[in-house]
Amino acid sequence: MPRNRLQSHGGFSRRAFLAGGMALGGGVAGLDFLGRSAVPALAQSAGTPKRGGTLIAAQEVDPVSLDPHTNSNYSALQGYEHLYESLTGYDEKTNIIPALAQSWEITNGGKTYTFRLRPNVKFHNGQMMVAEDVKYSVERILDPKTASPWRNWLEAIKEMKIVDPLTIQMHLDAPYPALLGSFAGMRGSGIIPKGLAERENLKIKAIGTGPFKLAEYVPQDHITYARNPDYWDQPLPYLDGMVFKVLTEENARLAALRAGQIEYAFMTAQGVAQLEGAPGITVMKSPYAWVVLHYINVYAKPLSDARVRRAMRMAVDTNEVIQKAVYGAAVPSGPIPTGYGDWPLDPATLPYLKPDIPGAKKLLAEAGYPNGFAIEILCSPQYPEFVATTLVVQEAVKKIGVDVKVTQLEWGAFVATNNKTIRSGGKEGGQILCSANTFRPDPDGYIYPYFHSQGNLNEGGYSNPKLDPLMVEARTVSNHAERWRLYHEIQRVVLEECPNWWWYAKFNIEALSSKVQGYAQSFTGRRIFLKKTWLA
Amino acid sequence: MRYLARRALWTVVSLLGVSILIFLLVRLLPGDIVDILAGTEGQLGPAQRAQVLRQFGLDKPLPVQYVRWLWSMLQGDLGWSFRSGQPVGGLLLSRLPITIELALLTVLSVSLLAIPLGILASVSKSVRIKTLVQIVGLLGLSVPNFWIAVLLILVASFLFRWGPALIYVNPWSDPWVNLQQMFLPVGSLALGFSAVIVRMTRSSMLEVLGREFVKVARAKGLSAGAVLLRHALFNAMIPIVTVLGLQTGFLLGGVVITEQIFGLPGLGWTLLNGVYQRDYPVVQGTVMLFAGTFVMINLAVDLLYTYLDPRIRYE
Repeated sequence: MPRNRLQSHGGFSRRAFLAGGMALGGGVAGLDFLGRSAVPALAQSAGTPKRGGTLIAAQEVDPVSLDPHTNSNYSALQGYEHLYESLTGYDEKTNIIPALAQSWEITNGGKTYTFRLRPNVKFHNGQMMVAEDVKYSVERILDPKTASPWRNWLEAIKEMKIVDPLTIQMHLDAPYPALLGSFAGMRGSGIIPKGLAERENLKIKAIGTGPFKLAEYVPQDHITYARNPDYWDQPLPYLDGMVFKVLTEENARLAALRAGQIEYAFMTAQGVAQLEGAPGITVMKSPYAWVVLHYINVYAKPLSDARVRRAMRMAVDTNEVIQKAVYGAAVPSGPIPTGYGDWPLDPATLPYLKPDIPGAKKLLAEAGYPNGFAIEILCSPQYPEFVATTLVVQEAVKKIGVDVKVTQLEWGAFVATNNKTIRSGGKEGGQILCSANTFRPDPDGYIYPYFHSQGNLNEGGYSNPKLDPLMVEARTVSNHAERWRLYHEIQRVVLEECPNWWWYAKFNIEALSSKVQGYAQSFTGRRIFLKKTWLA
Repeated sequence: MRYLARRALWTVVSLLGVSILIFLLVRLLPGDIVDILAGTEGQLGPAQRAQVLRQFGLDKPLPVQYVRWLWSMLQGDLGWSFRSGQPVGGLLLSRLPITIELALLTVLSVSLLAIPLGILASVSKSVRIKTLVQIVGLLGLSVPNFWIAVLLILVASFLFRWGPALIYVNPWSDPWVNLQQMFLPVGSLALGFSAVIVRMTRSSMLEVLGREFVKVARAKGLSAGAVLLRHALFNAMIPIVTVLGLQTGFLLGGVVITEQIFGLPGLGWTLLNGVYQRDYPVVQGTVMLFAGTFVMINLAVDLLYTYLDPRIRYE
């Protein structure tokens, strides 16, 4: 049984997982990450939903800006995801569902998308949402002047045609099955009223179609949301409003939860241990799209040799990484995060679950480094798990003679080094960098940008002439079974060649007051189902 | 008057120096606003990078950027935040009261607690008092205030299941709620601060108490209280006021972690976030405000000396 093998190899503690999941009725489903889809742990939701009440929650990182198109920081998405929507959205199982578009047709061999918009959708200012607004919003994202870091998600769109006020056609230059997900992903796809960006400072003001309106935003302090009474998906939302107080310090969130001051908080595995046995608090956890990994600059020796990269990866115990970095609250993962539909490889079948020192030594000798070498790994203490992961690697590869220098950089400096590595094609910047990949609206987002020789997040110019055409094919065919086969094949190859080292998909751990009902975790890590949440 | 004029001149010179220094320092930090906006997952191509730099005026040569910034600052315009698009002046004005309140309440509580305790320690022969002073001194100096802050939060919530209102309330809209909110942060800051002041008061008092004029005052038959407060304390105040002033300056800048732990959106946190976000106008504006305040406090302390010791005259 794959399940047993996973337990012994991955060292993933089933009991710990069940303790979190079972109490919520979603534990067994949670184990299903081996199978087709990630079923998130559901909050106990006995009884019928009730209208009213304000949810007081903690926001773990300041959103900084609420502009739905120009921010790469995840916390910005957390700030605006209740205010804006796109043409498509996600359900609890991360299936793409209609949102502002009621339906769509894909014609012309996957090159034309015709979206029929939902009628009678009002923006928060009372204005009706029509095709003009969709066109304006997408044009804003594509306009280089906007400098949207997510432009490439939608850049396949070459032309937009308004058929009637509620129908818009988008013409692509090539088939691009990721388009529907690119809208649902909401990283840079929110629909705003035509002309809004020219009238308002969208960094602190917001007018969307979302379930909540922005009542007040005081940067670094709090965001207050008020129920949108005209929301198209009646009777949602159930809450009258929400307040997210910025509490970056986990101890402060713990204290506020225990004192009953907040009803929701994001937690680390270490922090949540302090909530054990606390009355009136429910903890939910399930794996989500947060894969911790090392990007490897393959430009120069010795890392240009796949055997060297693989040897180092072979020396590391994945289970030890998971225990030390996140106290066991994760599952092993390959390039596509474990739990993302049927795209990822079965974690039980992943290579390198157990360290293989003799094999690693042999491989390193074959590559011409029998006595090892010295190398530097960069990480940022902004994310303690990245540092912990890197330290485990440092200890492990000592056994095969590789001397790792761990350099910790402040986050901005880390990002600058990372981006310099990419821009210079690996000639400048870092050698190995620890980071995480978050949710991508399509498996393509974990593959093409990083490993295609033309990919624009390709660290150091990794290139495999056999893989390039496969990646292009995988991002253009629309047949699911065919794509599935391609992505599984590509993942096997990159795991073999190690242009990155993938470690684990972390659990999303959220602590809620037992009063909070109807909330569901999303594989995306987002809190989109707060619109279905009510207070008992 | 001449002294004041000279001081004012020096103030301007030092503020100019600070402005050049901070302008260069933020730009020396690796990474800029383009990197922050792109992150590790998003992407900004060369054209987009150039666009962002142009948008924020970062494409101009450094001297041009500096002169522009200085010129608009002289006109009272601190520029616009790269990240929130808000005017920096307004942002700082909205954050200033929290930091000032935190600093003032801390100084006030330290003065009311630590100075009397120091005096007591200097005259008392009680072992208990001495032990108490030693404990306060040792704890306050050796335990970092962020640790005390976390401890206070956890004790309040786990033992008493208490926590003050989450979102900051102005003292003038609800003084009672505001005081509750300030209770723990001020407590965590005051402990370390008190340790310094207690020790300073004690040693300063001991020194003064051994002087001739105190003996004379006692010999004249003055009451112990009058000797202690009117004669000894008044003369012992100069080093205490100096330290109090210096520490207040540090409080303005050094409350960063305290503000963050207690979720108080004050200036310290604004500065820290400005640095993280490579939001140059915010960092520059905040540092200029800090520098200005520091200079003002120093001036006030110097002027206070002439009141405390009439022999001190500034020519």
